[in-house]
Amino acid sequence: MIRAAVISNGLGGLHYYFQSNDRVDYRWLEITSDFNPDLEGFDLLVVPNGCDHIALYRIRDKIRSFLDAGKTLFCFDGWFTAWVPGNQWYMDNTRKTIDIRYFKGTDRYDLFSGVDIRSLNFSHGISGWWACGYIDPAPGADVVMFDTWNRPMIVLDETTTNGLLLLTASGPLADVTGQTTDDESSEQDLARFYSNLLELAEKKRQYA
Amino acid sequence: MHKIGLVFNGVWSHYAFATAPKYADIYRLIYIHELTDETVDGLEALVVPFQSNQTELGRRRSVIYNLLAHGKKVFAEGDSTADWLDAVWEDRPVNNYWWVTDPHNPPVSETDFDHPVYNGLSKRHSCWHTHGAYVSIPDQAAVIQRKPDGDIITWETRQYGGVLMATTLDPIVEHGVQQITHLDHYVDSLTHWLCGIRPEGRFEVPKERYGIRV
Repeated sequence: MIRAAVISNGLGGLHYYFQSNDRVDYRWLEITSDFNPDLEGFDLLVVPNGCDHIALYRIRDKIRSFLDAGKTLFCFDGWFTAWVPGNQWYMDNTRKTIDIRYFKGTDRYDLFSGVDIRSLNFSHGISGWWACGYIDPAPGADVVMFDTWNRPMIVLDETTTNGLLLLTASGPLADVTGQTTDDESSEQDLARFYSNLLELAEKKRQYA
Repeated sequence: MHKIGLVFNGVWSHYAFATAPKYADIYRLIYIHELTDETVDGLEALVVPFQSNQTELGRRRSVIYNLLAHGKKVFAEGDSTADWLDAVWEDRPVNNYWWVTDPHNPPVSETDFDHPVYNGLSKRHSCWHTHGAYVSIPDQAAVIQRKPDGDIITWETRQYGGVLMATTLDPIVEHGVQQITHLDHYVDSLTHWLCGIRPEGRFEVPKERYGIRV
């Protein structure tokens, strides 16, 4: 079972999206004024959408050590501070979501297995998945998904550290359905994609 | 001299909004973990944006009510808890696609356009989507916006000294996200009401601010 730490900056309803199940034991790390969590004993660090990137910047060395120990980071938010090793998100929102389409890139771990990418493009006639900005990926990292203008939207980085980084351009993902839409098909596909990420994290845990 | 404090939860849209040239001289980011009577001293108003740290707001509620007791204004958007507002907020599904599927039926059906924030706004500019609703509000509060089913979206009260206004709209966060293109109207009206200054021009985030080094 994956031992996951989820960062919480006190958003209402956040706990609903990451509830322990037979695959993952989620523990919450609440950000306080003296936030300095112990990451020892965790396999996976999850940074949900809407997180506190001031607090994360302050513990960037600890996160780097966590990754160098072969662990996994999921970041589903726009990190406007430079705490993610090797990769940087840019809050360029000059492109409108209404014009954005998503395309599969390098998917060596079959993360899109069973996922219909069209569900991410449309839901109720508007954008189905709300990525924002884009990622400047580390050299050698995989661009798993890109958009209309070839901007990296999802990046998988196994080169910068000994660990695994799975980063979205602020596109929300969680361990439940329906976090961005109440459209049934989108719910299923986003949930399936997250499930595939967990499968990869489990393999990483077993072979770390 | 900054007139308005924006409670900052380390969220990128908060940062994008308050540091953009259009608003940077008016709004000052106040990190939630540094929200004290001292850090809000001298401000005309305080804004609590959507995606705020509800736990920490509960711990620091005295800062908000001390500011109100001094006759200042507080604007709260999005969700809240009864730990810091004398109101009951409940979650609801977000309908952000009504303008495509049912454009003549926006989530808000009643608006008091005599209120200074809403005066001069069109219906389209006064509602885009809502994050939940209030089912109970302070005993002396007045309702400013409602949904067709009667749920309360926006309310205001003067019972704490200054003016406390709360809404389940999210103008600050969405303006920072920059995907809803008409929000200059609402936010500029709100800013004027909060501090007496009406910003001009269009909200933009300069390219050099796309990623920062703290």
